[in-house]
Amino acid sequence: MWSDASTIAEGDLVIVWQTREAIQPLVIEPGKELQLRFGVYSHADLIGIPFGSKVASRNGKGFIHILRPTPELWTLALPHRTQILYVADISFITSYLNIRPGSKVIEAGTGSGSFSHSLARTIGPTGHLYTFEFHQQRAEKARAEFERHGMAGTVTLAHRNVCKDGFELVDLADAVFLDLPAPWEAAPHAYGAMRKDRMSRICCFSPCIEQVLRTVTALNDAGFSDITLYEVLLNPLEVSPVPTPLPIAHAVARLQAAEGRKEERRQKQIAKAARDREVKEKDGDAVAAGVKRTHDEAGTPDSEEGIAPKRARSEQESAHASAPEVDQPEVPFMKPQHEVRGHTSYLTFACIRPSLPVT
Amino acid sequence: MLSPDTIQAGHTVLVRMPSGEQKSVKLEQKGQISLGKFGSFKGSLLFGHPYGLTYEILSPTEIRVMPPKRLDDFGDVDATAETNELIVDDTTSQTLTHDEIEKLKQAGMGTEAIIQAQISQHSAFELKTAFSKDKYKKRKEAKFLKAVTVLEPTLFTVAEHLFNKDHTKMRDLRSDALAHMLTLSNVAPGKRVLVVDDVSGLLVAGILERLGGTGRLLSITDIESPPSYSALTFFNYDQTLVSSCLASLNWAMTDREFTPFVPPPPEEKDVRTDRQRQRVSKRAQASKEVQDVREDLWSGDFDALLVASVHEPHSIIAHLAPYLRPSAPVVVHSPYPEPLSRAQALLRADPSWLGPTVHAPWMRQHQALPGRTHPMMSMSGTGGYVLSATKVYVHRFVQFVC
Repeated sequence: MWSDASTIAEGDLVIVWQTREAIQPLVIEPGKELQLRFGVYSHADLIGIPFGSKVASRNGKGFIHILRPTPELWTLALPHRTQILYVADISFITSYLNIRPGSKVIEAGTGSGSFSHSLARTIGPTGHLYTFEFHQQRAEKARAEFERHGMAGTVTLAHRNVCKDGFELVDLADAVFLDLPAPWEAAPHAYGAMRKDRMSRICCFSPCIEQVLRTVTALNDAGFSDITLYEVLLNPLEVSPVPTPLPIAHAVARLQAAEGRKEERRQKQIAKAARDREVKEKDGDAVAAGVKRTHDEAGTPDSEEGIAPKRARSEQESAHASAPEVDQPEVPFMKPQHEVRGHTSYLTFACIRPSLPVT
Repeated sequence: MLSPDTIQAGHTVLVRMPSGEQKSVKLEQKGQISLGKFGSFKGSLLFGHPYGLTYEILSPTEIRVMPPKRLDDFGDVDATAETNELIVDDTTSQTLTHDEIEKLKQAGMGTEAIIQAQISQHSAFELKTAFSKDKYKKRKEAKFLKAVTVLEPTLFTVAEHLFNKDHTKMRDLRSDALAHMLTLSNVAPGKRVLVVDDVSGLLVAGILERLGGTGRLLSITDIESPPSYSALTFFNYDQTLVSSCLASLNWAMTDREFTPFVPPPPEEKDVRTDRQRQRVSKRAQASKEVQDVREDLWSGDFDALLVASVHEPHSIIAHLAPYLRPSAPVVVHSPYPEPLSRAQALLRADPSWLGPTVHAPWMRQHQALPGRTHPMMSMSGTGGYVLSATKVYVHRFVQFVC
């Protein structure tokens, strides 16, 4: 499955990571060019560099990361033919079904092959995956893909409707995974295909609770035991650098200082009003003396002239007050993301208890 | 295969009792499995059996395999007309006394028969709903039935067992969190993996299982002597396969500048007996082995790093990063969010790391019974937090253009 060499060679599959949202697969073909939002890259330039390289574009528009493919990266990058399984479900199902190197596993349907890749990785060369897809075009695409990814020795794909025609496997599978619209129709077939000399396990993947209820009954009727139901999620958390929150004493001090300045200003205003009154009284004397003044001539009236600079000063003061000598280094704070996945599917598990060997 | 097909002498098995409690027992050739009020039986009775069977304890020398429990058929659940309208909550409805039950037991009456006797003496039993009758029977069974299940030691069952027994000791590494770590780190047969495990070896066990007996697992420890991972005992792994994969090194030895103190070989005249000679060669062998493991670490090219440690995560990553291949995943578990948010911020500011992300695994189990399907009334509140990132090789052609 995929190259294990340190450096990239012609024909290798690589994963091009531009951003978290823009991840795509690429097969290296010399002579071709890759045109992206973050620049233009020639395939030939990528040959010989290590997997996992950060590469700058030829036209200086940015850089990308060229990663070694893993089933998880493939899941993020793959061309979706169907709704795919996400990593939280994939890892939990693998663990609960006790899938490990050497396991014989049945999967139906194949879909976009996201889980197939992960299973092939985990069971390794000593295990085997039998995967079934009832949609012909999807089956052919998946088959070609498994071939290209060097999985042909580990994965057998059949184009078949397992609900109708079963698996044509007997007492073989350690684990069965059913991602079908009506898993209850396939449950009896699955029972026949699973081994009985050791514990074997099944998982049915259904988004709706009504499907689960029918599945539970069908599994019980087919002879499965230990039926249970799980939901799993991986809740993403976002980390952002936030200035260390200030103690409330800081707010107390700032507000009290502002209060003090307000009082100071009030006193000044009172003093100024007193002065103005004096001036007015003098002016009044002048008017009485016949000196005429109009607004036009005077421009801005006295009162406004007095306030404007005062406001500017008070802004300066408050700016000064909100940034006193406090150490406020940034700290990485973490919180759950605003919008997260709330549900993927219900995972209905059951098992076949082994029977004692006849002695 | 890494793990055995059947139960053998010397295995450690997990036994689940009717009460739901689990106990780990080491099976000796002649040992007894004692389960308190549920009885006891000879461990050798299990030898050669596959894992996962339920037994009824008939006597200390006799056990009987029980068929697996099926879901009870309640028929049309809407048709249960009974309600608890007329049920009075007092102790007079059960007329069979504790002493009478003990007498029945001593007279050799079976569990099922005792439960039947209790039901027939229960004046209000018929007033109960079908669901409530079922609940009553189950409660009595948990109390009296001598049925035990020998669990298959899978990664999932062992992780659940250790987590339920002492989640603090396991640093809140829940079964689902462990599963995510193993997937995100892309562990597979043949890979070279670095691990820092302060969770009794559960992470080590998980990686060993995914390596399937091939590849290399190098465990970095903070103790002087080689680690003894208690979680490993549950799996009864093939010891030859384990020791061909697993090696350990303490932090002091990871330092290239550090030269461990090797006592000079004693002079020829001081080594007189065979025993002394053996000791000298053993010591030389041990220090050579340590040196080999050091060389292996320094040769680098590791495919993944997994961490569940008491130590500060970023310093661990920084210390071991030189030995990871570019594109290698790093996955760190912590019971606390703070160390991971700090490590995430540091990795994000460092161009040699890509996509550092923190996730909180969430898992909810449901009761799946016809007509009574609902999430469990209580669940685990945390399985810890998982940080993952990918190591990047900053190519010499990279120029940062705005």
